[in-house]
Amino acid sequence: MTDDAAIKRWFTQEVLPLERDLVRFIARHCRNEADVLDLRQEVYERALTGSPIDRLRSTRSYVFTIARNVLVDRARRAKIVSFEQIADIDLVDLDPDLLAEERQMTARDELRRAMAGLDQLPPRCREVVRLRKVEGLSIRETAERMQVSHHTIERQLTLGLRALASFMLGGEARISRPPARPMPVRKADA
Amino acid sequence: MSAARDIEQQAAHWLVAREQPGWSADRESMLQAWLNESVGHKAAFWRLEAGWNAADRLAAIRGGDRSPAPRSWLPAPIWAIAASLVLVCMAAVSLWQFGLRSADPSIIRVTTGVGGRRQVALTDGSAVTVNTASTLRASFAGGKRRVWLDRGEAFFEVAHDKRHPFVVFAGGRRVTVLGTKFSVRRDGDTVTVAVAEGRVRVEDSDPATPERAAIITAGDVAIARGRSMLLADRSEQRVQDALTWRHGLLTFDQVTLDQAAHEFNRYNRRQIRLGDPRAAQLRIGGSFQATNVDAFTRLLHDAFGLTVTSDSDGVTIKS
Repeated sequence: MTDDAAIKRWFTQEVLPLERDLVRFIARHCRNEADVLDLRQEVYERALTGSPIDRLRSTRSYVFTIARNVLVDRARRAKIVSFEQIADIDLVDLDPDLLAEERQMTARDELRRAMAGLDQLPPRCREVVRLRKVEGLSIRETAERMQVSHHTIERQLTLGLRALASFMLGGEARISRPPARPMPVRKADA
Repeated sequence: MSAARDIEQQAAHWLVAREQPGWSADRESMLQAWLNESVGHKAAFWRLEAGWNAADRLAAIRGGDRSPAPRSWLPAPIWAIAASLVLVCMAAVSLWQFGLRSADPSIIRVTTGVGGRRQVALTDGSAVTVNTASTLRASFAGGKRRVWLDRGEAFFEVAHDKRHPFVVFAGGRRVTVLGTKFSVRRDGDTVTVAVAEGRVRVEDSDPATPERAAIITAGDVAIARGRSMLLADRSEQRVQDALTWRHGLLTFDQVTLDQAAHEFNRYNRRQIRLGDPRAAQLRIGGSFQATNVDAFTRLLHDAFGLTVTSDSDGVTIKS
């Protein structure tokens, strides 16, 4: 759908470059790392469901207004957060950190960043991601090359993809283990 | 347990799967269904996709050099101008290579790697499925429907339009249709046209020899090389068998092992070699997953007692 394509373009070109600041802002009001992820996700969901007219405004103030509302809602639900904290959340617009110009990444910056992200991955995961991104190998070919199971490569690649994508968006290339239960996404022929 | 992390993991699974050679239209529609389930799925998927694609520059370090290029000594603006000039030159060279006078935005270009397969909807309502290691260009400028198969193989489902013939150029041959389903394949200078439905006309693309044309219908296969063209009347079933690659399968009916190995080698970096003539002339039949060399060679071992030896770049089959 054209509409969907336009929203996707806006999301990837205007919202995602703010991720680094957004996560930093959320983390300042929330200590639990898993909660930060959930709150970030909620901000993105609200940003995507918001009315198209709202999105015409400055994306930065739009996204941070949503972030503030999400934090306020959470504080209300928790019922143990003091009013000072909620008042503090309102100061977001005055924070010089958050008014910083978006940094434009050049091709060279992007390559440096990608290499730095790759280096932060654990050795085996790094090799799997390297074979995919640099050599262009499929999971099957990687499994043959490294003499380990298809499943292992798929798992390492999934973890590496998440870590490297986060790093490219300004986060840390930290491996985030998936839950132990099976994932609903399977092969179509399974 | 974080719900966001859960969704992110699912999105990552989809992204990884989508990059694999076996990705099909069925799975693409499953992915679309998953995305349409909730805006949260879209947010997670688009986010990971953007971040993961941003790391695509890593392909630049291919060849073992893992250190970033040294800083340029030129001041930034000059460096930028130089870089854009290089880009312009590269674009000009590639356009020139393909025989185009000017940049034409209406040209659609589809490329697949070894083991890859892509399905593309064309603007005239036709659909094309592009097989392994192929390059195809399509242009619908000026009311003409023209496609160039630069290498590899493609299957066309052409939308009927009497007034605008659909023309495929491949290795000196021109295939003209009004509305039908057929495939065109290039193997070096050999062009093979197989018709699944309707009629097509195959001729030299050199207008000086217009008499060298043949009309072929469903079940027919035309094999053209140099100045000669062979017409084979195969059954429609045989033509359908030859098209099972659209589902990731290779179907053989009493072909030599040599021919089967050649087919497999189009889809895999790991090449199958035949160690002796006796093994090469064995005849086999059946359907196989195009990218599963192991399953195929295991069967050769189990069913024919052939010896299978693996090394770094492929397998050797001996009797």
